[in-house]
Amino acid sequence: MLKKLVKWARVKSPWILHFNTGACNACDIEILAALTPRFDLERFGVQLKATPRHADVILCSGPVTKQAKDRLTRIYEQMPEPKFVVAVGTCAISGGVFDGCYNVEGGIDSTIPVAAYIPGCPASPEAIIDGVVKLLERIDQPEHFQEARPVYIGEGESK
Amino acid sequence: MSVEWTLLYMLIFPGFLFLMFYGMICEWVDRKLFARFQNRVGPPWFQPEADFIKLLSKEVIIPEAADKLMFRLLPILSIAAVLTAFMYIPVWSTKAIFPFEGDLVVVFYLLTIPTLSLFLAGWNSTSLFSTLGSVRNLTQLFAYEVPLLLSLLGPGLLAGTWSISGINEFFLQHPEMLAVNFIGFLVALVALQGKLERVPFDIPEAETEIVAGSLTEFGGRLMALFRLTTDLELVVVAALVSAIFLGGSFGLHPVLGFVLFIAKTLLIVAILTVFRTVMARVRMEQMMRFSWKYLAPIALIQLFVNIIMKAYFL
Repeated sequence: MLKKLVKWARVKSPWILHFNTGACNACDIEILAALTPRFDLERFGVQLKATPRHADVILCSGPVTKQAKDRLTRIYEQMPEPKFVVAVGTCAISGGVFDGCYNVEGGIDSTIPVAAYIPGCPASPEAIIDGVVKLLERIDQPEHFQEARPVYIGEGESK
Repeated sequence: MSVEWTLLYMLIFPGFLFLMFYGMICEWVDRKLFARFQNRVGPPWFQPEADFIKLLSKEVIIPEAADKLMFRLLPILSIAAVLTAFMYIPVWSTKAIFPFEGDLVVVFYLLTIPTLSLFLAGWNSTSLFSTLGSVRNLTQLFAYEVPLLLSLLGPGLLAGTWSISGINEFFLQHPEMLAVNFIGFLVALVALQGKLERVPFDIPEAETEIVAGSLTEFGGRLMALFRLTTDLELVVVAALVSAIFLGGSFGLHPVLGFVLFIAKTLLIVAILTVFRTVMARVRMEQMMRFSWKYLAPIALIQLFVNIIMKAYFL
């Protein structure tokens, strides 16, 4: 009963943190566009928070550069459990066109565990909203979210 | 008054439980109206409850450099202060639960405790942003405190008492005197925006400049308590203004009086939301200048008017 209540609250109130790990800015603009009154994410309870201490979901855009790797890990560790990572954009999934560059580690999952992948170059606001909502629907094992299967958005959905 | 009734008053109605739910409803009204003003749909009615439960269920992280005990105690202290303040504000009749002569001043100083504990919380977090936020917190306190107290004292002067219930009783006998205090009412509303740290006076938690101000390092349960304090403060302050400037329940039947209480507090919350929607954040020195140059003198004019009214028309 209490667990159900907590799960309900978690799904209804995801507070997000936006972090650019080295993207070309296109995905960041789309994330910000998704937060505008036009899409009105507050109706799902989504709020953009400025500090990792308040956030539940971290939206990462771009490939992880060697410079950003430490910062990303640190921010991830500053977030209180339970926390979920969403990789926004093709670069965040695999490194994209930047894969193999001398300064690039790879996708977000090369550094921290990812709960949802949202492809697109850049990912459109609708796709980002869809991804976050699907992620929330799939939070069924909050204690073992790291082992839970990640969510894929787009072609060949939900592998 | 027997012990059981006192406990009932303090814990259930109109104490902790009622205040908690009503505070969340007020937060929802505030957010929903804000969203509607921006042509958005806005959050569903259970949003504040969901936020609260989620925050309660999250991990608590305390910075290594912070004092652990203080970090945990400060949210509880601030919530206790706000709850105590509500005991002296009339809800369904002209009489509060535990009224005494001078409770206006006590309520006023109890309401500064959340600000002070926010300052201590930010200072204690030892992070750069929260330290900056807490310094701004205290600076802002000096800006809005004086106009707010001056404007609240106006009706007290007119009624010749420092008790909120006494002021309420006075307006029951002289309802025409409510119109005299209109300027003071406006001053109080503007100063309250500063007290509640909402736009345009949300300088201490300016998220575009200093992340989240004093609460930067707070997460989980402690953050939930601080958020609840903000909601409760909104209700308590709205109830205070409604009792002092809007005549409270007008001595009606308790049920009607309670409905009137809800209507008046919601009206004040709505007015505060309009302020929040139409304005942008000002800088600290702009706020200081505004408060001391315009707000405090206007409150003094109100006091002067009240003295004349008391001397010649009462």
